[in-house]
Amino acid sequence: MRKEILITGLGGQGIVLAGQVLGMAACLADHLETSFTQSYGPEARGGACSAQLIISDKPIHYPYVREADILVCMSQGGYEKYRPMLKDEGTLIIDQDMVRSGEAVPGDVFSVPATRMAEELGRKMMANIVMLGFVTSVTSAVSLEGMLSSVADSVPKGTEKTNIAAFNKGYDLGQAMLKARMKKAAARH
Amino acid sequence: MNDELKIVLFLCNWSPHAAYQTLQDTLAPLPVEIRMIRIPCSGRITKSLLFKAFETGADGVVLLGCEAGACRYGIGTRVAQRNIGDTRGILDLLGLGEERLGFASFNPDQHLELLAYLTAFRNKIEELGKTPVVPASRAKEVALSAGSAASISAAHNVYVCQDCGKCSSACPVALSGKEFSPRAIANAVATGDLDSPVIREDIWSCLTCGLCYDRCPSAVSFPEFIKDMRCATPANGKFNAHEGFFHSLMRAMTSPGLPVEHWKWLPSDIQTDTNSKILFFGGCAPYFDTFFKNHLGISTSDILVDALRLMNFFDIRPAILQNERCCGHDLLWSGDRENFIKLARLNVELISAMGTQELVTACPECYRAFSRDYPENGIKTGFKVTHIFELAEAEIGKGAVGFTKLNRKITYQDPCRLSRTQAGCELPRGLLKRLKVADFTEMRDRGASSLCCGNCAWTGCDSYSKAMQVNRLRQARETGANLLVTACPKCQIHLRCAMEDPFLENEIRMEMIDLTSILAKTIQWEG
Repeated sequence: MRKEILITGLGGQGIVLAGQVLGMAACLADHLETSFTQSYGPEARGGACSAQLIISDKPIHYPYVREADILVCMSQGGYEKYRPMLKDEGTLIIDQDMVRSGEAVPGDVFSVPATRMAEELGRKMMANIVMLGFVTSVTSAVSLEGMLSSVADSVPKGTEKTNIAAFNKGYDLGQAMLKARMKKAAARH
Repeated sequence: MNDELKIVLFLCNWSPHAAYQTLQDTLAPLPVEIRMIRIPCSGRITKSLLFKAFETGADGVVLLGCEAGACRYGIGTRVAQRNIGDTRGILDLLGLGEERLGFASFNPDQHLELLAYLTAFRNKIEELGKTPVVPASRAKEVALSAGSAASISAAHNVYVCQDCGKCSSACPVALSGKEFSPRAIANAVATGDLDSPVIREDIWSCLTCGLCYDRCPSAVSFPEFIKDMRCATPANGKFNAHEGFFHSLMRAMTSPGLPVEHWKWLPSDIQTDTNSKILFFGGCAPYFDTFFKNHLGISTSDILVDALRLMNFFDIRPAILQNERCCGHDLLWSGDRENFIKLARLNVELISAMGTQELVTACPECYRAFSRDYPENGIKTGFKVTHIFELAEAEIGKGAVGFTKLNRKITYQDPCRLSRTQAGCELPRGLLKRLKVADFTEMRDRGASSLCCGNCAWTGCDSYSKAMQVNRLRQARETGANLLVTACPKCQIHLRCAMEDPFLENEIRMEMIDLTSILAKTIQWEG
């Protein structure tokens, strides 16, 4: 098993934290090899920024993402810059209110109202956690239990409960979307 | 003599009675189990009278009339046929078997045929055996004692009434023009005037909708007070609507041995699972549809089917209780606490035996009864009670679900039993706002201030109830809507009844549908 994951967005959206949470779950809870790199520099002040992860059951020799299996885009800039790095059969996950894509992408595309859902939960800054819930749900990169403990350990003290609620919201949406796709496929046959 | 069969024969005074008399005069061997009651016309024996015989322990009932063309009053036989058909439908649902109710017509000279018929009927009943119905006790008419009036008043804060009259100015019954005032009842009780008609009669006119409690600055819990007053001074069914048919039905259901077949009409595409920890409790809709078949043409069983479809949509395959009975809500709210508790215990026993952890229902009265009235009367349920709207909201809230367009303008009637429980007024509105309808307009009186559908617990229906319903339907039409959405089978029954008015038909007629049905019919997976 080897997954290359690329998370992109704007500085301040918690992109790097999201990558870190995902990586911690993979290595500390799931006991997999993990490498985590983050873009550094002027992006961190508001441009497109990214977190790059490789999760594998074998040693990782090169830490950067070359062909992403999973691309999560939380901003238009990030989407435009990193879209070419996604594999042909890769999974594309976009925040539907932040990214305008409209293209027919091969493989799976998931359009998620993460920012809107976080706003409904009362804190826009939890959009990254909602997104993590969704990623956990629709990809098999990390385990649910690992992610729950990783989220609880990484967010500021006192906000664990609301963040776990946000995570579950994203996770439930992912499950519902998978179910919806299955049902629609079944209806077509 | 207890194991002797009891067969009640309702015998029309005209043709069949002449034949019967010939048999008596010739000392013909009439079956001894048959107890004959002479009646003026077979058409006068209502569904309620037919069923009451079964409720009180008859093993078989026969109604004999004249040939259809020979009825002295013209339509008697036709009416009797309809009543027999409906009552047989009810017996069928109850598992009593429709063959326990006989119906035939004889000419005066057909005494030999009559004897053969009665003997055959008796033999058939013997074959079917004794009825599983154990006659339930009927509360005797009791005068209200000063002691119980005082304790009921104290329990529900009636003594803190400030006599401000906010209740009476909000009360839908008072606003419909009836001489009725919650304040006057409170006053009469407080001053000890227990024999006044204000107490003896008016407590049966209250809708127990709870609007007065909402408005009361002293929080006098008027509906609860009325409920306890009715239990403390039963009126022997004097104020029951439909001649007490539904109260008879509920009392009959307290018999544990009744092999009820509540679900045998269910469409085969509905998926259920006997091992599920979730139970879907349907409610009395199949009985309503059978009883009102020839009158209102309602189809409230659709609500049950659509609720199950909605659960199936979310991959929930609930268990159903084949011998499901009434929840007993209307027994309690019409003053028969004893039989309510009997029925409630039986329900909890049957449901617990299925290993149920969560009970889901689409009926506001079942929801209220299981979640509030059972615990308040000392009956522990041990399972969670969920309204289908709560379940739908939670599942839809997970996302990836949308609705197809429904090109109708809708408005919404709040059922009192839903808007005043924890489900409240907002839950159905949240769901209504998710629908893709052409327009959703609220009525003038809405939410917690909604006007009632006009009746509760099959008690105290009169021309004022009708006025209230007409008023409500006018409000609904005023919104410009062409589809009235409700959430209770009773709302549909009572409002449909008002629409039968031949003079107002064009002004108030409106199509109605339950919110559960719209959800189930337009929901789809998205994403």
